Amino acid sequence: MNLLINILTAAVLAGTPLLLGTLGEILTEKSGNMNLGVEGMMFMGAIAGLAGAYYYEQGVVGSGGTPSGIMAAVVALVSSFLVGAFGALIYAFLTITLRANQNVTGLTLTIFGTGFGNFFGEYIGIRAGGYVAVGDNIKTAFGRLNIPVLSDIPILGKLLFNYNWVVYFSILIAVIMAYFFRKTRVGLNLRAVGEDPATADAAGINVTKYRYLATVIGGGICGIGGMYMSMVTTSGVWVHNCVSGYGWLAVALVIFASWHPARALIAALVFGGLTILRLYLKIPGVPMQIYDMLPYLATIVVLIFTSINQSKENVMPKGCGLNYFREER
Amino acid sequence: MKKKFLCVLLSAVMVAATLAGCGGSSDGAADSAAEESTEEGGDEASGGAGIAKEDIKVGFVHIGDPSDMGYTYNHDLGTQEMQEALGLSDEQIINKYNIPESSECDTALRELVDAGCNIIFGTSFGFEDYMVEVAKEYPDVQFCHSTGYQAKDAGLPNMHNYFASIYEGRYLAGIAAGMKTENNKLGYVAAFPFAEVISGFTSFYLGAKSVNPDVTMEIQYTNSWNDPKKEAEVAQALIDDGCDVISQHSDSTAPATTAEKNGVWQCGYNADMSVAAPKGSLISPIIDWGIYLQEAVQAVIDGEEIPADWCQGIDSGAVYMSPLNEDIAAEGTQEAIDEAIEKIKSGELQVFAGPLKGVSPEGEEFEVAEGDFYPEQVEASAPSWCYIVDGCNVAE
Repeated sequence: MNLLINILTAAVLAGTPLLLGTLGEILTEKSGNMNLGVEGMMFMGAIAGLAGAYYYEQGVVGSGGTPSGIMAAVVALVSSFLVGAFGALIYAFLTITLRANQNVTGLTLTIFGTGFGNFFGEYIGIRAGGYVAVGDNIKTAFGRLNIPVLSDIPILGKLLFNYNWVVYFSILIAVIMAYFFRKTRVGLNLRAVGEDPATADAAGINVTKYRYLATVIGGGICGIGGMYMSMVTTSGVWVHNCVSGYGWLAVALVIFASWHPARALIAALVFGGLTILRLYLKIPGVPMQIYDMLPYLATIVVLIFTSINQSKENVMPKGCGLNYFREER
Repeated sequence: MKKKFLCVLLSAVMVAATLAGCGGSSDGAADSAAEESTEEGGDEASGGAGIAKEDIKVGFVHIGDPSDMGYTYNHDLGTQEMQEALGLSDEQIINKYNIPESSECDTALRELVDAGCNIIFGTSFGFEDYMVEVAKEYPDVQFCHSTGYQAKDAGLPNMHNYFASIYEGRYLAGIAAGMKTENNKLGYVAAFPFAEVISGFTSFYLGAKSVNPDVTMEIQYTNSWNDPKKEAEVAQALIDDGCDVISQHSDSTAPATTAEKNGVWQCGYNADMSVAAPKGSLISPIIDWGIYLQEAVQAVIDGEEIPADWCQGIDSGAVYMSPLNEDIAAEGTQEAIDEAIEKIKSGELQVFAGPLKGVSPEGEEFEVAEGDFYPEQVEASAPSWCYIVDGCNVAE
């Protein structure tokens, strides 16, 4: 029982950055933009979040005050969102306004973002004397929450009410997004833009505006996923290549979740669980390399199933990957 | 037309910025060094006339960069120590950071040779094969590889291995862990099932056992020298399993910060990790690479030979301990460690002393008889103890 709880909590923690990257990409793809730069935007968000928290702390300490953990968390959240959104803005400008090829631009954004993150990470490190580390208050702010009463409930407390705040924040985003797509007029418009931009255009929807906004906000959410890596996983220490391929896993998870934010919750939990499974559950005779393959095997299996089972509902938005040019109608 | 131009321009900006990012990871000195390389052929043969101090160029290939606050950071401190002691200018040191253990290492080595380096240090285990190959082609350049084992048998006068008896330091850290643990259960974040790692965790365990006979240890592999996310996850799994002091053979501070987050303790490696985790990190054994680097570079300057294998330990200061974190360490820890240091120095204490029984990952059994000891890092600089002893539980 204890083992199961441990596996589940570790799976949630491992799955959260994946969830944020996946949600950002779902929002982007729903508008018809296939942005393969998730990895890059996560890197940009990772360094921006750490830099925000670090410089906020330096500023406050420099002027003789005590840095507040909550303020640092807000600064990290906002700066990672903004810088992730900035990466997506470059992509949006190139693909929407200039109609550059989406795949190529996305791949370039990945390379750019990786370099951006590592360059500034090292730069800040060198300026700080070889090593960036945030102080205790900020570490605590990104540590486990201890909600009075709730966290103390046996089993349920550890299972539900004992994570860091980013976990709850990401679940909240998933819920809001699910509601937004299903229940709001704007969400319906956005889906229409992604499915068939020409028809949406004819119906009076501003395709360019929708695509820009969805892509930029989606990029910001990916950036928050990056912040999770630098602030929670490595506890506010910049480590070279800290995102290390998780952005790509998020792109695969979008398919796994069949473009549904609510399903992304389950998909991220399953993926997170598969990545940590071997640390908890040891089956004698099964080498650890087999365990490490599991997330990727699962992706292949899901891809096979989704391609066999072509329901109208669970497929990629029809307009996704294609640039919209009004004059070509 | 205008839009097309803008499109090309923006892409170009992105590519240029990316390149700038990559360039930033290796030392800027590489550029200026490359320009001068044509003048210096590196004609000096090893063991010959030597080379003027002002003309020597020293190259490094690192798997990470100093921001890891662990292995590479510490090795870089050794570089600075050597540079200061010998009075070399910044242009004479060329660092290649973040080089993976793949053909990129080969490229990096050749770039360093092209840049005119007279002596090149490779600091990660997996670099050795590439270094041996490049060393064959450039007999005038000295190649020094840490943690490796091939120099002795390679038959190349310009290939050398170096390391320090870190197992002595691990043993001392184990004492701190053994005195601190409340559950009598230690956890170890290990990189690969190699002798270097097994020797490290065995000595750590033996140190803990010397002060706490009931202690056991859980070991999990990350299969990577430097993967902070994995290291944090492994540390968390060990803590969930009931381990309350974590140690590591991996490069980043993630195990230290994870231990701190969970209110348990940690013994580091390669750097004083109490900077990253002031409430979690007890003590760390550290290698002072500067001693060897200085000797080796001085040997090239003097035209003398560098030994094929170099290994020193706690008695010469090549291995030392970070200051004990008195706020969290158990009472009497410092005294116990000091006593053990004296005994190691006098030769009274041998870490791998019999009676000791172990099984290698391949199933080979090995026994050290009572009164005898295993000569770790005596015949070669690389650790060779690869037997898992009773009390150590490895998750395969």
